Amino acid sequence: MIEIRGLTKRYGDVTAVDGLSFDVRPGVVTGFLGPNGAGKTSTMRMILGLDRPTSGSATIGGRRYADLPTPLREVGALLDAHAVHPYRSAGKHLLALARGNGIGRRRVDEVLGLVGLADVAGRRPGGFSLGMKQRLGIAAALLGDPGVVLLDEPVNGLDPEGIRWIRSLTRDLASEGRTVLLSSHLMSEMALTADHLVVVGRGRLLADTGLDAFVRSAARETVVVRTPGARPLAALLEEAGATVRPGAGDELLVTGVSGATVGDVAGAHGIVLHELTPQRASLEEAYLELTGGSADFASAGARPATPAETQATTASMTTSGAAR
Amino acid sequence: MTAYDVLRSEWGKFHSIRATLGCLAGALAATAAYGYLFGLADARRYLAGSAADRAAFDPTDTGFRALVLAGVLVSAVGVLAVTSEYASGTMPVSVAAVPRRGLLLGGKAAVVAVVTLVAGPPMALVSFTLSQLSLAARNVPSAGLGDPGVLGAVAGAGLFTGLVGLYGVALGFLLRRSAGAVSLGTFLLILPGMASLFPDAMAEWIVVWWPSAAGARVFAVHPGSGGLAPLVGIGVLAATVLALLCVAAAVFRARDV
Repeated sequence: MIEIRGLTKRYGDVTAVDGLSFDVRPGVVTGFLGPNGAGKTSTMRMILGLDRPTSGSATIGGRRYADLPTPLREVGALLDAHAVHPYRSAGKHLLALARGNGIGRRRVDEVLGLVGLADVAGRRPGGFSLGMKQRLGIAAALLGDPGVVLLDEPVNGLDPEGIRWIRSLTRDLASEGRTVLLSSHLMSEMALTADHLVVVGRGRLLADTGLDAFVRSAARETVVVRTPGARPLAALLEEAGATVRPGAGDELLVTGVSGATVGDVAGAHGIVLHELTPQRASLEEAYLELTGGSADFASAGARPATPAETQATTASMTTSGAAR
Repeated sequence: MTAYDVLRSEWGKFHSIRATLGCLAGALAATAAYGYLFGLADARRYLAGSAADRAAFDPTDTGFRALVLAGVLVSAVGVLAVTSEYASGTMPVSVAAVPRRGLLLGGKAAVVAVVTLVAGPPMALVSFTLSQLSLAARNVPSAGLGDPGVLGAVAGAGLFTGLVGLYGVALGFLLRRSAGAVSLGTFLLILPGMASLFPDAMAEWIVVWWPSAAGARVFAVHPGSGGLAPLVGIGVLAATVLALLCVAAAVFRARDV
């Protein structure tokens, strides 16, 4: 169990993490999601005691990371797969880390086998592919058989085989009752791996929710209606509290009421419907809607937004998203 | 996590990369080469000198000059043991494995200190032997290992190189960049060699009190009237290095990795 409370980190004028509070629970994969620059890595670095919080705290089972007697036995982390000395062999790299936490050579061989690097233990990581470096980084994270595993963007740059491997590995780790926090800026990846989502943007918490609830709350359902009586139906639906916009041709795009309500209203007034299609926004859309305006380097309107503006952007993206 | 665990971990890191070992081998080669060359140079100076110069000539002075120059490479061993972690990005990994940063710094420092301390006497032995051979080959008075004080100076070389190695560790933690730390480390070590560029009063002070000059007094077999007593000199170097290490530890603990 990781507990983040009011965590804040400022680097000079830049606030990387801004009053973040959430828990990461055991037994599930928690996806830590946000655009690049949202503060995910800074948060993980503070959990690991690498960066000092400006204020707030991050604890593991109630203790600060630095107070853990043998940290690798309790927390395993992969922050940067490239963080290996190019000339120190994979096995020696792991052994040096293991020694510091009183972990023996046998466990080093074990984790090398676990990640499929047993054959290259004596080779220098300088010549490793990114996928092999990721595996080496994960081997390091698993050295102490830890109850808490943090992986920062573990699928970045991996081939499909490697991505699938990470997916099943993280699911397995969670099903063994471990606490797994997995960061990514890709919603599609999280949708396949995570059970629970913590979404951040500009260092602030945007959502802390189950995967399904996230989609339901973040994306409003749009009902596409085709009818010869578009004009009267639109008026009736608006009376019923819906927002109606014209779509392509004789389509109406209805938000704010369910598909059933649209059908009921039409039936009660004898209006013929040719089509009634409830559409749920995709995960990707839900995510973009939530983080819209909080991306550090958004392609449009590159000027930093205030929180109020961020909300305004989110609201406008809701409507433009629905008008698709 | 015990200090012993951390020492084993740091020893594993130290001996598994080539740059540091290469520097150490280079330091030994440099003492051999410079030892021989200082012998040649001093022989020429002796043969060209006046009777008074000849009377004042002390062959044991020639014997250990190479150690001060080779110190540049010894300090680089200390620097690289630290900066290789920053350069390859493994420092966060190391700190995550050993979050007690004072212990981590202490482990690195201890490994470097032991290695450079052990390397010192063989370097001194090589330098002394080759320099005296090159003096003797030109029929210039030379000293032997058995002469009073010589073995003491050979043993003292370990103190000198060990402290210089630790000095490199401190600079590595303070500057975090190999090039910067090695350049600054070299400049500060050989500053006494440039003392003549400074005003007289300052030059005198530098030659006597500058830590690298003071530490080199440990090689003085016949400490004359000039300069500090060998143990006082090495004490000045030790105090300076200890102070630098304390500053490095404070900075390392306070800074984000």
